[in-house]
Amino acid sequence: MRLIGVLIVLAGWAIAMAGLFLTDSNSVRILFCLGGISVSLFGIFGVINQYYLARANWKK
Amino acid sequence: MRENQQRRMSFMRSRKLTASLLLVLLGFSTLMCFSTLANAEGLTLNDSDVISATGPSKEDIALKGDAGAEFTGNVSDVTVADANKGLTVTDLANQVGQNKIAINFVWTLICGFMVMFMQPGFALVETGLIRAKNANHTMMMNFMVYGLGLFAYYVCGFAIQMGGCGPVANLGGLYPLNGEHVVNLFGKPWGLFGTKGFFLAGSSYDVGVMVMFLFQMVFMDTTTTIVTGSCAERWKFSAFCVSTIGLGAIIYPLFGNWAWGCGWLSQLGVNFGLGHGYCDFAGSGVVHAVGGLTALACAMILGPRIGKFNRDGTPNAIPGHDLVLVLAGCFILAFGWFGFNPGSTLGASGNGALRIGSVAVNTMLAGCTASFSALLYMWMRYGKPDASMAVNGMLAGLVAITAPSGFVNPFASAVIGWMAGIFVCLAVEFFDRVPKIDDPVGAMSVHGVNGIWGVIAVGLFADGRSNYGGSWNGVAGGVRGLFYGDASQLTAQLLGVATLLGVVFTLSFLWNWLVDVVVGQRCQPKAELAGLDIPEMGALCYPDFQLKAQEYVATPHTSGVGAPASKF
Repeated sequence: MRLIGVLIVLAGWAIAMAGLFLTDSNSVRILFCLGGISVSLFGIFGVINQYYLARANWKK
Repeated sequence: MRENQQRRMSFMRSRKLTASLLLVLLGFSTLMCFSTLANAEGLTLNDSDVISATGPSKEDIALKGDAGAEFTGNVSDVTVADANKGLTVTDLANQVGQNKIAINFVWTLICGFMVMFMQPGFALVETGLIRAKNANHTMMMNFMVYGLGLFAYYVCGFAIQMGGCGPVANLGGLYPLNGEHVVNLFGKPWGLFGTKGFFLAGSSYDVGVMVMFLFQMVFMDTTTTIVTGSCAERWKFSAFCVSTIGLGAIIYPLFGNWAWGCGWLSQLGVNFGLGHGYCDFAGSGVVHAVGGLTALACAMILGPRIGKFNRDGTPNAIPGHDLVLVLAGCFILAFGWFGFNPGSTLGASGNGALRIGSVAVNTMLAGCTASFSALLYMWMRYGKPDASMAVNGMLAGLVAITAPSGFVNPFASAVIGWMAGIFVCLAVEFFDRVPKIDDPVGAMSVHGVNGIWGVIAVGLFADGRSNYGGSWNGVAGGVRGLFYGDASQLTAQLLGVATLLGVVFTLSFLWNWLVDVVVGQRCQPKAELAGLDIPEMGALCYPDFQLKAQEYVATPHTSGVGAPASKF
């Protein structure tokens, strides 16, 4: 689960970088960046943190 | 009658003569003026002009002293290359050049010393915000980041970060740092890490390199100290040591290289036409966001303190033990920030370095407006002006203005600071409520969230008026953001944010996960409840005080970081 989260976080960065090569339009590059940042945030809070939340000490 | 006519004629003649003379005089003086100006423009100074220049006699000064400072520092203090030849124009020019570099060395070093003095500021803020039973542990973590971080940075961190930074004119060249490892991908060069300056040995044994090392080292130190706050009251000291070494040796220097050491982020302007590439004047991203994201990774791995969350997931505010420490520490940090941001010009003479005045005022303004907006937010939302959040507000404003301080005007600084004050309050509530990540001092909100805000703010508010020697990151002209006509600068900044989240967080998480597996990050619950001073450090910080073994308070209004529990 944590490794999947890490891969999603990295994928977010890859999406942002992809905009550099796939288009010359600055607006589209900004959209790629925002999309990539959103994916990375999902990986951090939606996947990695969920793993730790499920095992949190206050739930025991 | 005739006599009168003759007199009038002669008077007329004399008037004409006077007028002619005046005209000649006027013409002559104009010619003289022009010739003087022409001579001034083409002024040349020869050795013969300066060789006769003499200062006051040393005997005179020795007898009379120089209470009025009229004689101390004069032509006799200029170093002469050849005593037999006497003073030459080359000697004078060398002295002028050395003076410029000396001014920049002294400025950068003093600013570095001020940044180093931020360490007690961080230590006081963090220790004040945690419970007394963990005070020794928290102080020691803040103390040891200096030694551990410095060692790691000396061994390899500096070389990885600045080993290929190339010539820095303000510090006299730094020519030994010329080894950037570059790979060619998709037809573009990508600088990945530096290769010169390991152990400060070999050619990097250079006065300019030493100044650069000291200044960059204290910045790295700031990053490592951010993490200790979010992990306070439950972090095993041995795990902290290993984690800090990794951050100072590899993770921080890597992003530092990409942003400041001629790495690929800084070259986005040259290679892809994105504004001036990723711009981070003093480190909202490089220092604070890296620290804040590492703090986030560590806090997630560690889990919350016992008692922070109830069984239903509602958070409890755990107040700190000494607000005096917190407020005093904040002022020390605000003072140190005048070294952090203005010092990042790396000089006070040449290449636009006189912007130091503007940078200092921007820093001051953002801190003040952020403190005010955070105070106002808490007052309106919870009915009381919360001291700890006012402190975090000021720090958030200072963090947010760190990247834009060299590129924006004072009004933009005030706006950036104001927003930062609101963001830090919202972020503290967010981390408590949604992902339920425990951050005893609000480090993720102050440094992580507002570090990223500062990076984005450059892409919005940079006004193009800054001119550091005509270019920045190899792109001519001043840095302009979206509001000043260059949307591509915002793209470069957003790519920086994506890299911080995607790469820096990943590296920090993987490294600390490894530390967790090998060393174990979290201390035993028994030790945590008793307080870490005895179990981890072997000595109480306040041996004469009676401390409670466990204490967490849920009150309508508290001065602990974290939203008041009654609201949840």
